[in-house]
Amino acid sequence: MEFTDPTKDTLTEEQLVKDLQAGEMGSFEQLANLYQKKIYTLSFNLTRNISDSQDVTQEVLLILFRKGHTFQGKSAFSSWVYRITLNASYMKLRSRKREPNVSIDDLLPSFNKAGFQQEKIQDWSESTESLLFDNETRKVIQKAVDLLPDKEKVVFILRDVEGLSSNKVGNILEISIPAVKSRLHRARLFLRKKLSNYFWEYKTRKESKGE
Amino acid sequence: MICCKECIELLYSYLEGELSAEMETSLEEHFEDCPPCIAFINTYKSTTLLCKDTLKSNDIPDTVKIKLKEFVDKNKPDVL
Repeated sequence: MEFTDPTKDTLTEEQLVKDLQAGEMGSFEQLANLYQKKIYTLSFNLTRNISDSQDVTQEVLLILFRKGHTFQGKSAFSSWVYRITLNASYMKLRSRKREPNVSIDDLLPSFNKAGFQQEKIQDWSESTESLLFDNETRKVIQKAVDLLPDKEKVVFILRDVEGLSSNKVGNILEISIPAVKSRLHRARLFLRKKLSNYFWEYKTRKESKGE
Repeated sequence: MICCKECIELLYSYLEGELSAEMETSLEEHFEDCPPCIAFINTYKSTTLLCKDTLKSNDIPDTVKIKLKEFVDKNKPDVL
């Protein structure tokens, strides 16, 4: 399941950094155009708040405008942008009253002594097409992601939603690649369980209505 | 024969194609006789796709786009 396209945006990014360092006219607008959606989406997926995400996007763009020319190129420019965005988003979250995190272990799969699955597994993977456009499903998915503990959430968003490679995510978060993989796997297991509970409840509700 | 627990622990590496050929065969032999694990894999994959589609579709609202444009025009450095 690889969503990453390592060649995408690389050339544009390289040229843009050169332009920035050279103080090229127009590179600032281009920079804003290239990155504002990435910055906003990442921030929105972490804060789930439009006004906070707008603030974060503006703060990050300002840093890019003022400090972009000092960028050293030790890691990818986009990694730097993601890192600044994460920091700015976490600053926003820090000032907010936190909802208690659900224990991720409660939602990991359970097995009997012989190592076989204990829960009844329903395969809802074929019936998701029609549900995806359902507003209720979208809300459930967003809520499930919001409930992930921070460490797993950020890895899931960068890796599975943004489609960055494990290498790049490790670089941005300054954690090892095995740590990226294990957090991502835990996040997926947690979300799978949450969605399974929802689809089960959805199906039962429909059946009881006789649909 | 390997059990469900081991299969699910190795699921990430299996889907990324990171397992040895021998290990991969062991998992696939288990899957052949284990419909719950097949359902688990299918829903595990669907989870990723559903979440990605949902979270990716959060576009910048138009009102925010306008404000960001104003912000960029006001704050972009003057380069001579």
